[in-house]
Amino acid sequence: MTFEPIWGSIIAWYLFLAGLGGGAYVSVTFLRWRHPEAITMIRIGRFIAPIVVIVGLCLLMLDATAGFHHPLRFALLLSNFGSVMTWGVVFLGVFVVIALIGAGLCLAKRSVPMWLDILGAIFGICVAVYTGCLLGVCKTFPLWNNALLPILFLVSAMSTGMAAVLAVGVFRCPEEFNRVMAFKKLHYIFPIIEIVLVAALLFVTAFNASPSGYESVMSLVCGKHALVFWLVFVIIGLVLPTAIETWLLFFTSEEYERGKTAHIASFCSNAGVLIGGFVLRLLVLVAAMPIVLVTPWY
Amino acid sequence: MANYGMLIDTKKCIGCYACRTACQRQNDLLPDEAFIRFEEREIGTYPNVRVQHVPLQCMHCENAPCVDVCPTGAARYGTDGIVEVDQGRCIGCLYCVAACPYQVRVRNSETGAVDKCRFCTVNALNGTKTCTCVEACLTGCRIFGDLDDPDSEISKAIAETGAAPIAGDLTKAKIYYVR
Repeated sequence: MTFEPIWGSIIAWYLFLAGLGGGAYVSVTFLRWRHPEAITMIRIGRFIAPIVVIVGLCLLMLDATAGFHHPLRFALLLSNFGSVMTWGVVFLGVFVVIALIGAGLCLAKRSVPMWLDILGAIFGICVAVYTGCLLGVCKTFPLWNNALLPILFLVSAMSTGMAAVLAVGVFRCPEEFNRVMAFKKLHYIFPIIEIVLVAALLFVTAFNASPSGYESVMSLVCGKHALVFWLVFVIIGLVLPTAIETWLLFFTSEEYERGKTAHIASFCSNAGVLIGGFVLRLLVLVAAMPIVLVTPWY
Repeated sequence: MANYGMLIDTKKCIGCYACRTACQRQNDLLPDEAFIRFEEREIGTYPNVRVQHVPLQCMHCENAPCVDVCPTGAARYGTDGIVEVDQGRCIGCLYCVAACPYQVRVRNSETGAVDKCRFCTVNALNGTKTCTCVEACLTGCRIFGDLDDPDSEISKAIAETGAAPIAGDLTKAKIYYVR
C-alpha cells in the first residue's frame, strides 16, 4: 500500500497559525517590556494574535468533519486529559480569551494590565509547544515522535509571530520599526536556532530504530519533497532571512537601515520567515512515514 | 470476562479478499470503507519466491494508542477488552488514525467519523447468524476465540504454530499471525 498522509494542508495551516498567534502575543509582551514607546507595533501584535488563532481553529473544525456536522460534540473535547489534544483545547481556549480581552481593551483605548500580557505570553508559548507535542506523541511516525519537534515548532512559532508583527509594522509604523532594535535582534537569532534544530531533527530521525525514519528524512533531503525542502524551506525560509538580517544589522550604516530599500529588504526577510514557517509544518506532516508499513516485514 | 483475540495464518491466505467483503457486508460499510487492509510482499530468494498476503485490521491492543490520544473519549475499551469507537462522540479529528501504528483506522466518508474492526465475530458465539471474516475465509486462515482460555482453539493454535503479533511488542496486540 502506498501511504497517504493523514493530515494535509488544512492542518498545516492550523499548526502554523496557532504558533504564529502565540508568537505574536509573546512579541507584544516583549515589546511592552523593552520598547514601551512602540505603541502601534504593540497594537499590531494585539490584533494579529487572536485573529490568526481563531482562523486556525475554524480550519481545524472544518477538517474535523464529524464534529463539523455535529458541533455539540466539540464539547466532548475535554473528556480525556491523557490526550495532548485535550490539553491543546485548554491552552487554545485560555489563549484566545486572553488575546481577545487584550485586543478589546486596546480597541476601547484602555490600558492592558501587565499581568494579563505575561499570562498571554505564557499561554502563547504553551500553544506553540502544544502544536509540536500533538504530533510528537504519535509513536507511528519517527519524524514526529521525538522531543526535538516541540522545541522546533516553538522556535518557529516565535520566529513567525515576530516576523508577522515586523512585516506589518515596517509599513504601518516605519519610525517605530527603526527603533525596536532589541526586538529585531531577538528575532534575528530564531532562524539560526531553527537551522540547528532542523539539522539535528533530520540526523536523529534518520538513525531511528525503524527504517521509516530514514525514509522520511530521505524524502525531504533528496526525495519527492526535496525541491520544496531546500528551495522554499531552507533557502527562502531560513538562509535568506538570516543573510538579509545579518547584512542589515551588522554591515550597513544606521542611516541606510532606516531607508526605503532596507525596509523592503526587511519585509522580504520576514515574508520568507512566514513562508518557511508554513512550509515547515506542511513538510513535517506529509513527509512522515509510518513504522507499520515497514516493521512487519523485518 | 473473556479476552478475545484472533489468529491469522498467512501461509494459508490466498489474498482473495473474501474476509474484507464479508466484513463490509456484515457491518454495512460504504464501498470505500474497509476494515481489513491487505499488505503484500515477496518472500524467499530467487528462483524460489512467492507472494505473502498479510491482512491487517484493528489489533484491539490492550494498551491502545488510539484510546490514549482520543480527546473526546470516542475511542475506548468496551466489554471483553474490545476496542470500540463511539460514533456519536467522534469528531473526526483523525488523531487516532495518526496514533495507530498499524494504520488500520478509516474515516467514514459520509459521516466523517472514524471506524475500524469491531470484532463482530464475538456476536457469532451466542448463535447469532453472522457473515464474518472468520466464516467467510475460504482456506480457514482465521481462528477467533478467548486468549485467556488455555483450552480454546485459538490458544492451542498459537502454542502449536508459534504465532505472534505482527510487529513484536510494539503494542499488546491481540491479532496473532502465522508467517
